[in-house]
Amino acid sequence: MQTTKTPPRILGLYDVPMWTFLEQDRQLRLQCCTDCGTWRYPPGPACPDCLSPDSDWKPVSGQGEVVSWVMFHKEYLPEYPAPYNVVAVRLDEGPILISNLIEDPAENVIGKRVKLVPVEMDDGVVLPRFELESA
Amino acid sequence: MKRTAAVIGVGHSDWVGDWHRVRAGERPGDSYHYGATAFRAAIKDAGIKREDIDGLIVGPTTAYERMAEVLHMDVRWGDQADAVLSVLQAVQAIETGAADVVALVYGNDQRSAGIQYGGPQAMGGDLFLSYVYHAPWGMTSQGALYAMTFRAYADRYGISERDLGHVAVAQRQGAARNPNAIQRKEITLDDYMAARYITEPLRLFDYCLINDGGVALIIAEAGIARKLSDNPVWIESTGRFDLNRNATSLEPRLTDFYRPAQQAVAEQVFGTSGLDPSDIDVFQVYDSFSVHIPLALEGYGYCGVGEAGKFMSEQGIGLGGKLPTNTSGGHLSETYMQGWAHQIECVRQLRGECGERQVEGTKRVHYSSDVAGKAVSIIYGRD
Repeated sequence: MQTTKTPPRILGLYDVPMWTFLEQDRQLRLQCCTDCGTWRYPPGPACPDCLSPDSDWKPVSGQGEVVSWVMFHKEYLPEYPAPYNVVAVRLDEGPILISNLIEDPAENVIGKRVKLVPVEMDDGVVLPRFELESA
Repeated sequence: MKRTAAVIGVGHSDWVGDWHRVRAGERPGDSYHYGATAFRAAIKDAGIKREDIDGLIVGPTTAYERMAEVLHMDVRWGDQADAVLSVLQAVQAIETGAADVVALVYGNDQRSAGIQYGGPQAMGGDLFLSYVYHAPWGMTSQGALYAMTFRAYADRYGISERDLGHVAVAQRQGAARNPNAIQRKEITLDDYMAARYITEPLRLFDYCLINDGGVALIIAEAGIARKLSDNPVWIESTGRFDLNRNATSLEPRLTDFYRPAQQAVAEQVFGTSGLDPSDIDVFQVYDSFSVHIPLALEGYGYCGVGEAGKFMSEQGIGLGGKLPTNTSGGHLSETYMQGWAHQIECVRQLRGECGERQVEGTKRVHYSSDVAGKAVSIIYGRD
């Protein structure tokens, strides 16, 4: 991944804490239901399981597994010149995150274990990306 | 089965002519122009007057009120909906007595207006959650979502990229025999494999066209349809099931490939009509990307789970194959009318108007759409 800037994020009412924690602590925290412990991503107003409005921003392990991945060969965003990869990672806590692998995959990586790497971009955004466990 | 409504008229704009005009830098008209063009053709095809219509549904690319103003129509019932839901809503309006003759009108100037389906200006991207939670990592474009879906599906079941190529090859075969199709040069599997990746594992021929155009249909209550038409095309059954849980994380696409929704819809459309997949002569599938076809073949039970690659290569989905699919060329090769033109192809196959691409003896056509987790089906039939 050679990108140095982040495409503009349009943050909604529930989005700010995740990015603030990333920038301050280099740590990914997600909403976790105060009442039943279900993880919530993307952030939102109600627990997907018990509908409780209450949540705590708890750190996740950063461990996960690749669900799928693609390589972009066409440039759509000026911040992302092709080629580059995008992965879908299922965190051990449950939610699936769309992200990037630090190194473009050389072979099929579905099912491979990955760990989170916070990457500070030139524009100050700390982007949660992943690398293969063996790397 | 109970037949409550039928299609009695269809029409469309000059997709091929407008494709060339737009490429030459002209702007033939706006979305309302294309809708009006298709509407004129549809009422002529139905042999009715505008005054016979008392319901109107317009596509999501135009404002309902403005389209009604352009067409100079005052109606007692109306709405705005996408291709497949507009047919369902027209049937529901007819069954509840809200309207008797409903016009469905779609127009889209997406090519000449430079509408983008990926990148910073993608369909007002900032308004869609998916773009907010994908864009920071460069994930954009609908095609990339289907590339990711296909990679997970291929990993699970072993379908190859070459197997997927059967979709583009088969649809181009139909398009080559369709004077209304924009891309008519036949391609081989080797041509498919030689084309460049857009978002790997999907290649150029896996992607739909983007072109200007319009489509219109006239749907009438059963008694009126019999009176007005010699060859009404019946809406035999409809079904719908939506998967929205965890959609932003792409979970319904990546883990179940929308199959639970399609299976639920299959029970509705086949169960209520007394039909099963073996009764279907022609299959029409919303194909913004080729990937929709293998998933729908499995979801609706035309082949076993994980067997779509084998089905396409051994039984065939082209003309002369076991299940001719997207016989007009579909979005990939005929015209990208966001599902609307597929409805016309259903009607024309049932009327026997398809010339060189006609599937002889067609009595039942199944249309399936699974856009963004909304699985919807219609079975069309004739007397």
